[in-house]
Parts: sequence; structure tokens; C-alpha cells
Amino acid sequence: MAKNITNKTLIDLHACMVRIRRFEEEAGKLMEDGKIPGALHLYVGQEAVAAGVMAHLSNKDQITSTHRGHGHVIAKGGQFSPMFAELYGKSTGYCKGKGGSMHISNMALGILGANGIVGGGPPIAMGAAFSNKFRKTKQVAVTFFGDGASNEGSFHEAANMAALYQLPCVFVCENNGFGEYTRQTNHQAVTDVADRAAGYGMPGVVVDGMDVMAVYEAAEAAIKRARAGDGPTLLECKTYRYYDHVGVRGMGLTYRTDEEVDAWKQRDAINSFEAVLLKQGVLTAKKIENVYARADEEIKEGVAFAESSPFPTEEDLLEDVYFVGATS
Amino acid sequence: MQAVGLVANPASGKDIRRLAGKASVFDNREKLAIVRRAVIGAIAAGATRFVYMSDSHGIVKQAIAETTIPRGVRFEALPSSGTASAMDTIVAAEQMAQKDCAVVLVLGGDGTNRAFVRGWQDATLVSLSTGTNNVFPVMAEATVAGMALGLVATGKVASRSVASQAKLIEIDIEDEEQDIALIDAVITRDAFIGAKALVDPSQLKEALLCRAEPAAVGITSLGGLVRPVSDQDDFGLHLTFGEGGRQLFAPMGPGMFSTVNIGKTRLVKFDQVVRALGPSVIALDGERERVIATGQRIEMRISRRGPWVVDLAATLLRAAKRKIFLRTM
Amino acid sequence: MSEALKEGPRMLPYVSAITEGVRQVLQEQDNAFVAGEDVGQAGSVFGYYQGLLAEFGDRRIVDTPISEKGIIGLGVGAAATGCRPIIDVMFMDFLGECMDEVANQMAKMRFMFGGGATLPVTVLTMAGAGMNLAAQHSQSWEAFLAHLPGVKVLMPSNAYDAKGMIIAAARDDNPVFVVMNKMSLAMQCEVPAEMYEVPLGKAAVVREGTGFSIFAMGRMVHEALAAAKTLEGLGVDCEVVDVRSIQPFDSETAVASIKKTHRALVVHEAVRFGGFGGEIVAQLQEEAFDYLDAPIARVGAPFSPVPYSPALEKLYIPNAERIVAEVKKVLGI
Ligand SMILES: Cc1ncc(C[n+]2csc(CCOP(=O)(O)OP(=O)(O)O)c2C)c(N)n1
Repeated sequence: MAKNITNKTLIDLHACMVRIRRFEEEAGKLMEDGKIPGALHLYVGQEAVAAGVMAHLSNKDQITSTHRGHGHVIAKGGQFSPMFAELYGKSTGYCKGKGGSMHISNMALGILGANGIVGGGPPIAMGAAFSNKFRKTKQVAVTFFGDGASNEGSFHEAANMAALYQLPCVFVCENNGFGEYTRQTNHQAVTDVADRAAGYGMPGVVVDGMDVMAVYEAAEAAIKRARAGDGPTLLECKTYRYYDHVGVRGMGLTYRTDEEVDAWKQRDAINSFEAVLLKQGVLTAKKIENVYARADEEIKEGVAFAESSPFPTEEDLLEDVYFVGATS
Repeated sequence: MQAVGLVANPASGKDIRRLAGKASVFDNREKLAIVRRAVIGAIAAGATRFVYMSDSHGIVKQAIAETTIPRGVRFEALPSSGTASAMDTIVAAEQMAQKDCAVVLVLGGDGTNRAFVRGWQDATLVSLSTGTNNVFPVMAEATVAGMALGLVATGKVASRSVASQAKLIEIDIEDEEQDIALIDAVITRDAFIGAKALVDPSQLKEALLCRAEPAAVGITSLGGLVRPVSDQDDFGLHLTFGEGGRQLFAPMGPGMFSTVNIGKTRLVKFDQVVRALGPSVIALDGERERVIATGQRIEMRISRRGPWVVDLAATLLRAAKRKIFLRTM
Repeated sequence: MSEALKEGPRMLPYVSAITEGVRQVLQEQDNAFVAGEDVGQAGSVFGYYQGLLAEFGDRRIVDTPISEKGIIGLGVGAAATGCRPIIDVMFMDFLGECMDEVANQMAKMRFMFGGGATLPVTVLTMAGAGMNLAAQHSQSWEAFLAHLPGVKVLMPSNAYDAKGMIIAAARDDNPVFVVMNKMSLAMQCEVPAEMYEVPLGKAAVVREGTGFSIFAMGRMVHEALAAAKTLEGLGVDCEVVDVRSIQPFDSETAVASIKKTHRALVVHEAVRFGGFGGEIVAQLQEEAFDYLDAPIARVGAPFSPVPYSPALEKLYIPNAERIVAEVKKVLGI
């Protein structure tokens, strides 16, 4: 497992997590400052999942994301400028400003959309996986969803069909312990979503979602299995979101304690990975600093790009509702 | 009366071996059901006091809630470490040692038992397997295991007459806390703990085994298929891996065969020191546990200072001979 | 503070009127309960169940998993067997997840059973755009529901109606949807403390006029009133009718208004094409053709999903200016 993992891979994993963290911190600020409209569901705390899984996917592989989708988009190759532009609702955004945070997508990067509908992703990923098998490509479709989403019928139907047809599909459950403000123990009778895999006839695995190498190895096995035509896997990553359900401070409801949040922060995926990489000499303090500096540079550029970009106009409103033109 | 300890590990039976080893996920409802049956068995054999680990998924708590408990039977929940990690088990073991537990039911795999023994080294255990890749815990019906728990806790069957002390490996890591293994300690070329399981034979450097079981899967079988060492033998086995030696075709994991290059094998006496040096990752009882830095020294030794393991068949046989479950009308 | 000591009318925001309506229903009906996502401990993401869990306990304020099909099913099954559930669907858009439970079960069960089942279930849900929540959190699907024989559909435009409609819906022995608007939550009006009903099937003339009728639904009532004010400056005396009850629809009030004004416009936030406005127009031409002096105009959202960008959303949502422009077109001024 993780045989001959190169230093480049390790450095990339680290940079990916840092880029997500910094992007989200900045997006959160911009939202609270009223610069970004709408609702942002931020990914801070869960970075190891997106980074560890996406390391095994190419642009050709597809993902479906969730309302908490920025991290997936970044790990799948999303650039900051069109991302920020989308969050600002500008015409230069990934979706021309029409989708926003909850619908951010890019087909060229294999991103079949964030999703405003909880549980919206799994059936679509299953369909993409069906297509991959039908077209005899070696593409894999990965669907990300939360513990909350695992209670939607859509997840269960997609899981059943993916196993039935032995599709190249990986179900990645990001169990951050809550669906909105409801604790997992109050929304399902199982404690591990992975337990449900058995009922569909696919393997279920639980990994520490705060450990990027654990996610990396487990995802590698699941994605390899899918690519080899051996069928789907349900991979549950135990993780935690540091921010509120929406925004940074959110609605200010008390549904968890500061101690609980702090205990998870103690196990922060980025900090602990940095400690190991330093110990092994893969990175130096200086190099780590540079990673943050580069991310901040990207943010500066991205925000400037977004702010200077034009808003879409009235003509754009009725465009893209239908495909118009010659049939492909 | 002495108490029965109950420990159920919510995390066992869910690791990456489900994928690599084609095993099914071991769901927590089944663990709960096992606890229920064991508790019912123990009460039937006369147990009235239970002390249990508050696991992060509430397995034991829920099992009790779902069981009809006769009057006079008491359950005590131990305060949890709250870490939802192996630390929960270690801390629970330390507390059970203080609580006068005659015998403890441990549900999990080798790793769970190892964690428990780290907290209480000479505990008396009934260990049931809830996984696939286990050597230390046994596969047995929980009702029977429960009966044995009750018989030992009540003193109807003397613990020392049916339990035997297991071997273990003590591992001293320079500048760090001591660790232990119940079956094997493996030095690997890995750089990370990652998803923990050992599945790539090319990463193996050397291994020290208390038990080399040919009738098992995992590292123990690598030794077992070359030079078997049983639980009864008062010695262990040291193996090195690498080119030039013999090639062994063995089950590295459940349903997963690999060709492994075996270098030297030698028997090691009790308390004979086996040394190793970082950089490496050390895997204990089949799971990568610690990253060893370059130049960091490791010393390992085998002994029979391990936990006491209750022989279920022997316990029930004694109960039968003494007609413990027989009522005359 | 005692009510008597307070000066002036009792003003309440829409959000608190919802809470009060639900609370009074729960007090009145022992077999009523609320079920939905984050309705209990969180008090709804819109805040309108705040305090009810503490007051009624978790037997009657039930937090559910994110399982809309299950939640509506819970309401149908419980209503058929002696309960009076109040079901919460956080955003109206999420009805997509459970349309079968609504359209094929809830709406038809009584009929299919030959009248054998009675379904006193109320569904509270939140519609409307304006908060940059994009295509899946901003829709107005009342026409979907009104097209289903077997369910009733109400759209409170203000706090008074919100409370009175919730009470009327909960007392009705049929499935009733109360489609509320998320942009109206802070909007205040006078709300009596006691229990009262806003009757189903009754529109309200919220501004009397003789020159032109505007039939408005939900939040658009306020845009219509603003438009009426502007038009007044242009010498057009508008009557504004708050449709309020989509199903049953109060054609009597609509016809009476047309008989007075002879010209009309319908406005709703939903997509214009296939919207409920079309039904109103059809009914008026059937019942009051001879009184019409001009074709009835319609204002609604363009034929596209709700856009995210503030720049586009602003253009998308119908408003007073668009109403004024359309009225002027009809009048040729
Ligand atoms: C069908 C549907 N129901 C409800 C919601 C409202 N909602 C948005 S996010 C969310 C919680 C989702 O929880 P989970 O799937 O665990 O993801 P997390 O937010 O924890 O990342 C809910 C209930 C929605 N967007 N879609």
C-alpha cells in the first residue's frame, strides 16, 4: 500500500490541503464582509478527504460534490480566479455566475457539480459510472456526500444500482458528525455509515478523515478496485467541520461545545501532516511557508480577478436553459 | 462478587482490509448483538456486576438498554477518554484493573486486545473476534463466552484452572513510551501509518513473532508456514525479509495471497533482545503504529508476561462436570 | 409585560406569527405534532420553531433525518391513522425529493380509497428567491401543487395571514400546503394574540380601486401595492387582490373585481409560463369575458431557473416596476 510514494506526491497532498484551507478562510471572510452573497458552506477541517481522494483521479475521472463543494473543486484542479468569480456572481466564473457556491462545476475538470440538494450527487455519479462502463473507458466516478445525505433515498438507490451493475463508482461519505445542526446520533441509528455497505453488496471501509495518508491509501484501493471493474466501494471518512454549517460563525446556535471543536482541531490534518513531513525531511519550515505564500498569492489574484470582472447581463438570463445549435 | 468487564471496539472490522482482503464490513449492530448475548450468558451463569467501557458509539450502553436485565444486576459505565481512539480502550483497561474485574470480554481484533493489554497487562480475558485478520481473539458464540465470563466472575470455576498466560512482545522505542504486541512486531520500509493495514510484502524488513501460526492469516502465517511456533512454546521467532532467501506463497491478509521473500529465520529465547533502527514504521499485531525516525533505536523482547486467556471449552467442561447448570426438581 | 399596558396595535413579524400559529395549534390539538429537519433543537433554520421544543418536548417537536420522502410519508401515514401532523419542508425546492409521496400518495389516497381515508396533514414550506441562494433554494412551485387534485394550497403574504392560515390549515381535514416566503420573515403587521382562522378559499382585497385589478400572490402582493401607489400618481386607481388561497381559488372575488375595473394583471414570483396566473386568466375569461375591456396581462419570472448572481437575480424576480410597465402597456399610457 502506498508503495514508493514519491516526495512529489507528499508535497502535492500538502499543498492541496493548504490551498483549500486558505481559500475557504478567505471566502468565509469575504462572505461575512458581505462581499460574497448567498450561502457558503465551508470545508475547513475536512481538507484531507478531498486531497487524499483526488490524488488518484485525473481530469477524465468524474466527481459529484455537495453544497460543501469548494474543497472538492480545488482538489480536482479548480483555479481560484474562476472560483472566486463564481462566488461573486460574475460572468467570468466557472458557471458564468449562474450557479454560485452550491452549483460550482466544470465539466473539463470532471466536476459534475456541487449540489444544493442534499443527496443530489450519488445518483448522478452512479449514472456517470454507468456511462464509463457502457463506453468501456477506464474512468471512475466518485461521489462525495455527508452523513446527513446518507439518509436520503437517493443515496440508497444509487448504492444499490452501482453494486448491482458493478459500476466503477466510489461512494465517499464525509462523516463530519452533523447534518446541519443535528448530531449523527440523532439522525441515524447506525454509527458508521460504512456499515450500510454490507446491505448493498459492496465493501465498506472506515478511515480517519483527519489523516491524509489514511484517506490516500484507502481511496487508492477503492479507486483501483473500481477502475479494474471490480465494482463500487463505500469509503467513510471520519472528519469534522471547524466552521458553522453556513459561513464561519453561522447562526450562532449551540449544538456542539467549543471543547469538542478544539479536540478535533488538535488532530488537524494539515498540522499533523506538516509535523510528519518535517520529521522526514520532505519539507522544511521555509518550504511550508512558501506553500502558504503561494496560496495567498493565488487568493489575491483570484479576488482581484473576481472583483474586476463584469456581472452577467440580461441577455445571459435566458441563455443556457436549452442546448441551441447543431446536435452533437 | 467480582465484576465482569465489557469492552467493545466500535472501530474494529472496518479497516482497509475490507477492500484489499475482500472481507465484509463488521457492522456495529452485530457487535451490539454479541454484547447482548454475552451479557445474557453471563447473567445466566450468575454474574451480577458488570463494568463497561463507554465506547464512542455507545455499543455496550445500547446493548444493555435493549436487554431485559433481572433485578439485582448492576452495570457501571466507566468515564470515557473521549478520544474515539485506541486510547478509549487503554484508559478503560486501566480503570478496570482498579475496579476488581475478574474477567473482561474484549470484542475486537488483535489491535483492540493489544490496546487493552497496554492498559492492563495481566488482565484475564475472554476475547471474541469481530474481524477477519485476528490471531489473539477467538471465534465463538457469544452466549457461551458469556457463560464462561459468569462462571469465572462468580468463582464457580477458578480462573487459574482454566486460563493460561499468553506471551507478549515488549517494545522499547528510544525516547518514547514503551509499547507491546500480542502476536507480532514488524519493521517496515513504510514512511506513514496511513490506512494501517500491512498488505504490501515488499515493504517488510523484519518481524518478531510470539506466535507463528500456520492456520491463520497475516504476518503470523509467514512465520507459521516456515517455522511454526505455538502459544505454548516458550520462545518466539525472528524473521528477516528480502531477496536471496526462500520464496513463500502465503496469505498476507484474508483472501489475499502474496509471494514473500523470506531471508533468515531464527528462534528467540524469552527476554533475548532483538534490536532495530529507524527510519521505518513499526507495525504491531498487523497494523502500522509508529513512525520511527532515522537513527531511532528499538529493542524488543518476548516473554510470558501477557494477559491470562480463558479457555472457553475448558471452562464449560468444568461447569458441566460440576453440574452447575443442572437443577434438580 | 401585560398586553393591556402596551400602547397601540400588537405588531408581530411574519416569523413570529408562524411560531404563534403553530404553538396555538399544538395547544389546541393533542394529536398534532411538528416533524421536519432541524425543527427541534435548532428551531428551524428560519427560526420559526424557536422555543417550541422546550415548550412541547421531543414527542411533539420531532427532528427528522434529511429524508424528505420519509418525512412526507410520516405525515401521510400518521394523518391517516389519527394524528394531525404539521410537516416541515425546509425549502419548497426539496419537495422534489418527495414528489411521489405528495402527488401519488397524499393527494390521492382519500379518493383512491373511495373516501376511506382522511388526511388532516399540514405542510409548511418556504418558497421564493431574493437571497442569492440559486436555482435549488429559491423556487416557487405552488402551481405544481395546485395541479394536484386532493391538496389545498395557501400563500400567506403577511404575518396576519401566516398565523391564520396555519391555524385554518391545521383545522382542515385535508392535506394543506402553506407556502411561505423567506423574504417576508421580518415583515411586521398587526397580529391578534388569540387564535383565529384565515378561511381557505377566500381572497382578500387589500387595496380597493376602480380602474384596474392586480391579482397578486405571496410576496408579490407588496410589489403590487407599491405599483398601485406609482400608478395612482399616473391617475390609475388600482385594486389589489391578494389571492391568498391558490387551491381552492376564490374566483368570486376575482370576478367581482373585474366587474368593477374591466382590466387586470396577474403577478406571481413563479415562472410565468405555466404559472398559476394562467389559471386565473382562464377562469376570468370563462366567467367574466363580457366585462373585460383588454386582455389580462401576466407578470412572472422569465423561463429560466433562478440565477445565483445578484445581477441576474435582480432582473429575474418580478417587481413593482415590471408591474407598472405592464399595466401601462395594457392601458396604452
Ligand atoms: C434535499 C435537501 N434537504 C435538505 C437540505 C438542507 N440542507 C442543506 S445542507 C444540510 C445538511 C447536510 O448534512 P451532510 O450531508 O452531513 O453534509 P454536511 O453539511 O455535514 O457537509 C441540509 C439539511 C437540502 N439542501 N437539500
